[in-house]
Amino acid sequence: MEQNNQQQKQEIKKNIKQTLFEFYEKKYKLLLIIPIALLLLALVQIGFQIYKTGDFIKKDVSLKGGVTVTVPFEKEVDIKQIERQIASQFPRNDIAVRTLRSIGTVVGLIVEADIDGNNKADVNKLLNSIEDSLNIDLSKIDYGIEIIGSSLGASFFRESLIALAVAFLFMGLVVLIYFRTFIPSIAIILAAFSDMVVALAVINLMDVRIGTAGIAAFLMLIGYSVDTDILLTVRVLKRKEGTVMDRIISSIKTGMTETITAIVAVTVAMIVTQSEVIRQIMLILLIGLIADVFNTWIQNVGLLRIYVERKAKKGVVI
Amino acid sequence: MNYKVKKLLTNWRVLLLVFFLVASIVAIHPTLSKGVAIRSVITNSSASIAGIQQPKPNIQPVNRERILSINNVPINNVEDYYKYTSTLTPNRTIQIKTTKEIYKLTTIEKFETIQLNETEQKTITETIEKNVTINGTSQIINETMAKTVTVPKTIKVSKGTEDIGLRVYDAPKTNIRKGLDLQGGTRVLLQPEAKLSPYDIGVLIDNMKERLNVYGLSDIVIRDANDLVGNQYIVVEIAGATEEEIKDLLARQGKFEAKIGNSTVFRGGQDIVYVGRSANEAGIDPSAGCSQSGQQWLCRFRFSITLSQQAAQRQAEATKDLEIVPEPTTGRDNYLSQKLELYLDDKKVDELSIASDLKGQAVTQISISGTGFGANQQAAIYDALQNMKRLQTILITGSLPVKLGIVKTDAISPVLGEQFINNAILMSLLAIIAVAIVIGIRYWKLLIAIPILITMLSEVIILLGVAAFIGWNIDLAAIAGILVAIGTGVDDQIVITDETLKGETATVYNWKEKVKRAFLIIMLAYLTVVVAMIPLIFAGAGLLKGFAITTIIGVTIGVFVTRPAYSSFVEVMLK
Repeated sequence: MEQNNQQQKQEIKKNIKQTLFEFYEKKYKLLLIIPIALLLLALVQIGFQIYKTGDFIKKDVSLKGGVTVTVPFEKEVDIKQIERQIASQFPRNDIAVRTLRSIGTVVGLIVEADIDGNNKADVNKLLNSIEDSLNIDLSKIDYGIEIIGSSLGASFFRESLIALAVAFLFMGLVVLIYFRTFIPSIAIILAAFSDMVVALAVINLMDVRIGTAGIAAFLMLIGYSVDTDILLTVRVLKRKEGTVMDRIISSIKTGMTETITAIVAVTVAMIVTQSEVIRQIMLILLIGLIADVFNTWIQNVGLLRIYVERKAKKGVVI
Repeated sequence: MNYKVKKLLTNWRVLLLVFFLVASIVAIHPTLSKGVAIRSVITNSSASIAGIQQPKPNIQPVNRERILSINNVPINNVEDYYKYTSTLTPNRTIQIKTTKEIYKLTTIEKFETIQLNETEQKTITETIEKNVTINGTSQIINETMAKTVTVPKTIKVSKGTEDIGLRVYDAPKTNIRKGLDLQGGTRVLLQPEAKLSPYDIGVLIDNMKERLNVYGLSDIVIRDANDLVGNQYIVVEIAGATEEEIKDLLARQGKFEAKIGNSTVFRGGQDIVYVGRSANEAGIDPSAGCSQSGQQWLCRFRFSITLSQQAAQRQAEATKDLEIVPEPTTGRDNYLSQKLELYLDDKKVDELSIASDLKGQAVTQISISGTGFGANQQAAIYDALQNMKRLQTILITGSLPVKLGIVKTDAISPVLGEQFINNAILMSLLAIIAVAIVIGIRYWKLLIAIPILITMLSEVIILLGVAAFIGWNIDLAAIAGILVAIGTGVDDQIVITDETLKGETATVYNWKEKVKRAFLIIMLAYLTVVVAMIPLIFAGAGLLKGFAITTIIGVTIGVFVTRPAYSSFVEVMLK
């Protein structure tokens, strides 16, 4: 009885596996809905973000600029401690505290905050919290307030987007030259693009403010995305052994090992690090890697199979 | 087993990896050096008078001159240095022992002139021209007379000792240069002398960035700022530059004009199509070289430039009516009666004789020259080359739309904080171990997990070694690039393992063929990533550039050094 039960369970498990596999094999066109819907939803989110805030991401103080307060202060202090104290008063803002030195000794502190410099109430609140955390009276000190612009400059985003567009074009060209056919190139570009866009939308929904580190993280996704897509495309189009489906399954085995390894590494890094900046990079990579599972093994596989099918109709067996 | 180890140690791919590892460790050069390193020497300070040399900018960090002790008191860190130098009294001789030699410095007293609220009478002599009639003819003669004037009374107050003029930092332990966001740098607050529109501020910042880029200082952040009263500022944060370099580059408007007589022939920026900077187009002038005059050495530099057609035309116009005169000393070579005069910010920096055969000719190729001075020949060459670089920068980028004044300069702590690096190292190690564990579980073989672990660590070391070797700053963007290189490296290792050991390509039995197939996937992925990074190098902002270059270097090392070694290892040990 007991054994029978066990067997039955295994049978069911096998059946489920079988059904899922068949579904994955047969309904690949239907499955394409998932990555396409994901991409569309992400684009809608980004569009909404632009409509609401005028920007496609939430920029932090390094990208948006804000207010810097320069306070003459001649004691060695734990600036991280002060940063935490001031930040606790501004949970929705980005605060950075740095020291100024002249000839080796501390001469002052700089507090950077992404608050609106024309908003008197916010500025006063910032000044008050600086007074509290440093235990000083600013009215007796010759401090300075400046409203500061972005560290990357006004043309940065325009330039980066152009550079990214050219980068995608180049990637497509390399793949096109190697495989001499369009669809695989487009599939690889689309996968990298989707990874970045989906990660961006999720980050926006999580209300994370992006700094220069975040931008680097989005670019890192290109490298991770390309690895699995190239693996898949080479195995499907250039290998002869087994059926197309066999080659896809072998690619999934190798590719998922890659992705799972990366996800584990990123998760460990995220848990261990004490640095907000690294945590942000790792979070973006994690989301991008998860999106890459869908974009490679459903979207890219789907597009490749459609391509193979069309070739087969013309009598070319791949 | 012994046989396998022997085979492994004679495999050229493995040996190549070992060679790169050793070379990288040599380049990184970890040391336990003591003392404080000299960052810069201020001109005319006690230190520069005593002969302490300005360090060359391209010197490797651990090879920098270090101060070991002052008056036999050991100096171990920056605090020691500033604590000791703040106790110095004026007009005393002190002994500074560095890694190079022992210098004897004399401290200088610092004075401040204070204007008092009272006035005093002072007698001065004044010379005026006077028309005098002597013997019936009117002549102009100079007459000197004493005059008493009332001036505000001033007193000179001693303010202790003048700074001895060294900027130091804790002696670097490796040759790895840290970027602005990891190490901090200099923060300069500049104020434009005239009010600018937001558009002009943008132009100004772009121009400054370009100027610093040409000069080779890419690790910078330039931001615009306003105070609440509406004053405009430009905030510059810059790593590894000295105050004097910043003054020379940023506060100088850089209005360059070349004139013949009263007519301007060409200006810096748009009139100049090309500025020669390669070794045979620019450098110390071989025909003039260096010469000594009294205590000072003088060196001449020259570099070639190409003018636009319009500027060449203007030059032809300006020279066509000039007379041909013989060279006064030799009387042989014929030159034109007026010289080409070079002005920088309205100050004449050099003049060039124009050969007579250029009269009325629209020449586009011109050689620009200038001079540099120094206490010895080496210093003069250095000064001349610095001046040349500055002039080239200005000719390439043109002038800033407005003059800038330096409001203040400070050293600023890094954005990412002091603990960031240690934290990042710990995190990377744990992540690498996590990867090795996942690989170990997947393949259930220590002989795969350990080599992958070693490969990852090797890639980190080699990347840092290359960065130290070429003088590349490691900043956050570079760290991101390193992570991409290692991450995609693991991906490739997995591909090699699956293609060669797993049954994924069961029909192929030839080992060489299997490796070839693995490398086909790897090379294609490599090329795709590299071409994606190329446009990012040219996207202007330093952030993308640093990321793209580190990624390219990293994946290239991976594909050509560490991946082949790994595949050889797998072949020898597991085939």
